[in-house]
Order: sequence, then C-alpha cells, then structure tokens
Amino acid sequence: MRLGLDAAESARISLSAIMANKGRGALTALGIIIGIVAVITTMTAANGLANTFRESFSAVGTDVVYVSRMPWVMVNDFFLYRNRPRIDLEESEQLSVNLRGRAIVNPTINMNRPVKYRSNTVESAEIIGTTERQVMVSSVVPRDGRFLMPFDVQYRRFVCIIGDEIRDRLFGDTNPLDREIYIGRNVFRVIGVMPKQGGSAFGGPNFDLQVFVPVTTFEKLFGGRTAGRDVNIAVKAPTQEALADLEFEVIGEMRKIRKLRPAEKDNFSINKLDTLVDAYNNVMGVVLLVGLAVTGISLFVGGVGVMNIMFVSVTERTREIGIRKAIGARRRSILMQFIFEAGVICLFGGLVGILLAWLLTLLIDATLMPASISPGIILLALLISILVGVIAGIVPAYKGARQDPIEALRYE
Amino acid sequence: MSASREGAMAPAAGHSLAISDVVKTYVMGSTEVNALRGVSLNIGRNEYVAIMGPSGSGKSTLMNVIGCLDTPTSGTYLLEGQSVSELSDDELADIRNRQIGFVFQTFNLLPRANVLHNVELPLVYAGVPRAERRKRAEEAIARVGLGDRAHHKPNELSGGQRQRVAIARALVGNPSIILADEPTGNLDSKTGEEIMQMFDDLHAAGQTIILVTHEDNIAAHARRTIRLKDGLIESDVTTGVQVRAGHGAPGG
Ligand SMILES: Nc1ncnc2c1ncn2[C@@H]1O[C@H](COP(=O)(O)OP(=O)(O)OP(=O)(O)O)[C@@H](O)[C@H]1O
Ligand SMILES: [Mg+2]
Repeated sequence: MRLGLDAAESARISLSAIMANKGRGALTALGIIIGIVAVITTMTAANGLANTFRESFSAVGTDVVYVSRMPWVMVNDFFLYRNRPRIDLEESEQLSVNLRGRAIVNPTINMNRPVKYRSNTVESAEIIGTTERQVMVSSVVPRDGRFLMPFDVQYRRFVCIIGDEIRDRLFGDTNPLDREIYIGRNVFRVIGVMPKQGGSAFGGPNFDLQVFVPVTTFEKLFGGRTAGRDVNIAVKAPTQEALADLEFEVIGEMRKIRKLRPAEKDNFSINKLDTLVDAYNNVMGVVLLVGLAVTGISLFVGGVGVMNIMFVSVTERTREIGIRKAIGARRRSILMQFIFEAGVICLFGGLVGILLAWLLTLLIDATLMPASISPGIILLALLISILVGVIAGIVPAYKGARQDPIEALRYE
Repeated sequence: MSASREGAMAPAAGHSLAISDVVKTYVMGSTEVNALRGVSLNIGRNEYVAIMGPSGSGKSTLMNVIGCLDTPTSGTYLLEGQSVSELSDDELADIRNRQIGFVFQTFNLLPRANVLHNVELPLVYAGVPRAERRKRAEEAIARVGLGDRAHHKPNELSGGQRQRVAIARALVGNPSIILADEPTGNLDSKTGEEIMQMFDDLHAAGQTIILVTHEDNIAAHARRTIRLKDGLIESDVTTGVQVRAGHGAPGG
C-alpha cells in the first residue's frame, strides 16, 4: 500500500519534472535511443539472416554430403585447390557402385545458359544436368508433370523440368508441359514443372530459376570434365545419424577410385550443410558482435548521460528534497522519486528507439531481406531501457536521498 | 504577569515535549560553534510559545531539534513521552510526518505542485489512501480560507496566501505541535497580522504552537515567551491564563 502510494507520487513528480525540462530530457535520451535502435536492429537482422539462411539452404539436406573439386567455403588459398583433377561422371558411377546399398549417389553438373520459348527469354537460368536420383536426394518433386526417369538419362533424351520462375517468365498462363524450349541452341521438351521454392540469399541458389536435364544429355552437349565443368556428387545417407560414418566411407572410396597413396592429401572436397552452417555462424557472429558492441557502447554512453542529468536534477532540487524530508519523506521515497525519473527518461528513449527501429525494419524489409520486429524484442528493449535508467539513476538518487534536511532546506 | 526559570526542571509525563540539557555543537573544521549550550524546557499541550532572542542565539537550532530535523549533540528529548534523541533518519522522518507541522519563513512550497498537492503531501508520505487524502487536504485548505485556490500553483498566490497553504500543509496530518520559524518574516505587517490571527485560531482550537520571531507584537500573540541568548535560556515568561499547571509555577 505504502509502496503503491510512493510509486504514484514518484510518477507524478518525475513526470512533472521531466515535462519542466523537455529539451534536456530529450537530449539525454539520445544515447538510449541509439542503443535501443541498435539492439532491435541487431536482433531483427540476426533473425532475418537466420530465416533467409534456412530458406536458402533447406534443399541442401542435413543427410547429404557432396563430393566436389572445391570446398564451398575456402579455408586455404584458392590456388591450392585449382590443380586438383576435375570429378567426372565415371568417378560418380564408380562411387555409386562402391556404395551400393549404403547410400544414394547422384551426380550433377551445372552452368548458366539463357532459356527461350518463342519470344520470351530468361537470361540467367541455371541448367543442371542430373539423374532420376535427384528427387531422392532433395525430396522436392515436380508440381506438374514428372521428373527424369532412368531411360531419360540412359538415352540422353532432350527433356527438361523447369523451375517456377522460368515457367512464369517463359509461359505465363500457358501450360508448359510438352512445349519445346531452347536451352542455348538446343531444343528440349518440358516434361515437368517444379514447385515454387524461393531462395537466392547468401549466394545460395534461386531454386525457381533452375532447369533440370539428363546429366548424360548435358555432358554430350556441353561437355563434362573436358569443357571445364565440375561434376558434383551428392551422396545421401539413409539417416541423418549415418552421415558422419558415411562421410568417412565416401572419403575412403574416393581415395580408392583416385588411387591416392596414404601420404597424399585428398584432391577433392567433402561439403555438407554443416560447412555452410559454420560459415553462416561466422557471419552471424560478426553481426551480433558489431550490433551488441554498438548497443553496449551507446547504452553505456546514454546511461552516463542520464546519470549526469540526474545529478543535475538532484542538485537543482535540493531544496525540494529538504521540503519533502521536513514533512516526512523517508530516504526510500526520495530514492524512488529520482530512480523513477531516470527510468521514465530512459523509457521515453526506449519508446522513441522502438519507433525508429520499426521504421528501419520496414526499410530493411523493403530492400535487403524479409525482416520484422517480434513482440519479444520490443519487450526486451523496454526492459533494457528501464534497467539502464534504474542503474543510471541509483547513484544520483542515493545522493539526494541521504541529504541532510536542514542543509537541503538552506540550499539556495 | 508571571515569569519563571525552568532550567532545572526534569522532563515529566503529560508534557507535549520535554527537553533537558540539550547541547548542540557544530564542528566546522577546527572551530566549534556552540549553538545550544544546555537548554532544558518543557512545553505542555495547547501551549502557545514564542521564542525570541538576538540573531545567532540558537532559536532556529532549537526549533530544528524540537522539530526532529536535527538531533542534539547531547541531552535528552522526549516528544509525547518518546525519546527521539537517538533515532535513525527514517524514524525521525516518520516522527516529523506524524507529530510535527512546519511553517517556514520562506514558505517552502513545491513550486510545480498546486495547492492541493502541496497540502496533501504529508499524507502521501504517511500512506493515507488517495480519497481520504484528498478529503483531508481540502478540509485543511478550507480551514485556512483558500478553498477557491486549491488548483493554483504557489507562484499564482500572494505571500500571505502561500503562508496559509504552508499552514494548511502543517495542519493536515493532525500534528502534536506546529513549529513556525519566523512565519511572518517575509510578509508585510498587515498580512503578518492575518497569519497570526490564524495561529491564534488554531491555538484556540487546541493546537500546540511554537514560533520564533523577532517582533514583540508577533510574540504578544503567544501566551509564553522564551528568550534565548548565546545558546542558553535567558528568560521564560508566561502570560495569560491558558497555561496549564505543571510547567513552571508562576513566580518571580
Ligand atoms: N549548520 C551550521 N553549521 C555551523 N554553525 C551553525 C549551523 N547552523 C547554525 N550555526 C551557528 O549556530 C548559531 C545559532 O544559529 P541559529 O540559526 O540557531 O541562530 P538564530 O537564533 O536562528 O539566528 P537568526 O535570528 O539570525 O535566525 C549561530 O552562531 C550559527 O552560526
Ligand atoms: Mg533563525
């Protein structure tokens, strides 16, 4: 009860004190405002990055390792990798035979080519040579029509499955099935359309711009190893848990296929989702570090500013403190009054910060990546700003609370 | 007219306050100032006391001790039978809140708060619920004749009106004693006289009042006049008939 009355009185006093010095309060809150904008934007950006990442690389699969000439994330100098022999379809076939019953092996080759249907062209389509096993690795199946069949691959047929954006840009409302499109100078028949998947952030692929063709046809037309294009071999483990063991088996089999001696290093790379996750975590780490550093510094500076203003406020109102003490205010009441005032200034800063961060988020959402502020982050921002205020207010408030009433009353 | 010296009297029950051998020494660096050098004094309920004396004689210091704003360096002080010479800050704050009503020379109102808020402030710190607080504050404001000014700020009031607000604030908590240190010091003589009329009314209604003044015509309102000199009681003169037995038999 008593505490409640104190709080109400504290609120009344601090609001009137702040209103009497609006400009000062606003300036003081600036540091807090920047800090809150920083903390919200950091969290929102981190969230946005996480979502985008998940979307972009969901197709990579958590139970798949990829054998490639190059690592996805370069650890060493590029020149150390570039003398490696290219991987070809024979090696893929060999690996498939060696791992039979233990894993699904699917080779892919890709390149960018324009695709055309009548007068419509998509310049930057990603043409992927693959096999019928693709759907077992990625588990994405066509929305319309069918995927590749073994005979498409075996007979090097000129058929293709197109991504959703390709379909949209080439065909609009027309049904693309059984239509013929140009890939480069060659005519392929559309036998399937993939569902819309999105992607394309983080340098990840845009799945909707992909066109799948039989890998054999691809090799015949555009060349595999000889034309300077790498084959990537996807190896899918039966379960996610089996992936770690499978990785070692794959390395062993590849070394056997390539007849590497024990002393020789691998001349191929094993890639998997973890590689990307690690890279992503590094990016995220930097984002968080920078964001939190900016947050921390501005909240600290803001807090010091508030503390400073509170010292001024306490000194200016020494006489008021004397009056209040003379008529019976306890230390705690005075303490609360000033802590409350500091808290309100910071809360005001927090609210303005939230507003600015919200605008900034709208901007990020419109330009960089999908972003939104979650209620949890708003709550966190409010808590942080109040906490900064309370901490910044404690020392000045304590100074005010322990004033001697007579001296305070005598203060001019 | 009768007069008496009370220097050696022991504190007795039934007194509103009983001070005995109170010494207050201010230490300033290497020098010591003896503001009070052994003051003993009993004041009963419903007394009306004026404290007089030359500047620097210790009047304000004595008032501060009586008002529990300050604690004596030595000596004892019983307020309503309770020893208050060795209480903590917060305990003193509670005593001031419940038992003392201050009226200052410089009014000491909160400038940003309106009359009503100023007057109800002691009740806020006493933990009185809002509705009751408001009611009692309005009553006190009406009692000092400012019922129509409850929502004015102090700077919208005249000096005399401000002092009335201060009196209302001193009254509102039903204190045992009202202490006024030169309450008319900042007012012209006509307004000062009006304020003294108000104290007279309060006294007539049963309130104990102690005031400090330099002016004889102000002191004349009181029933008892204590003169201080150099931190000691020089004389303690009781006039009038309203003084109760037990604090200084008439004599001389
Ligand atoms: N806080 C203090 N520190 C040091 N000395 C003080 C302090 N307060 C009062 N004194 C000294 O104590 C003595 C008594 O002071 P006090 O204020 O009680 O006098 P007073 O009788 O009220 O005088 P006046 O009529 O001028 O108000 C003075 O010598 C004063 O200088
Ligand atoms: Mg004085």
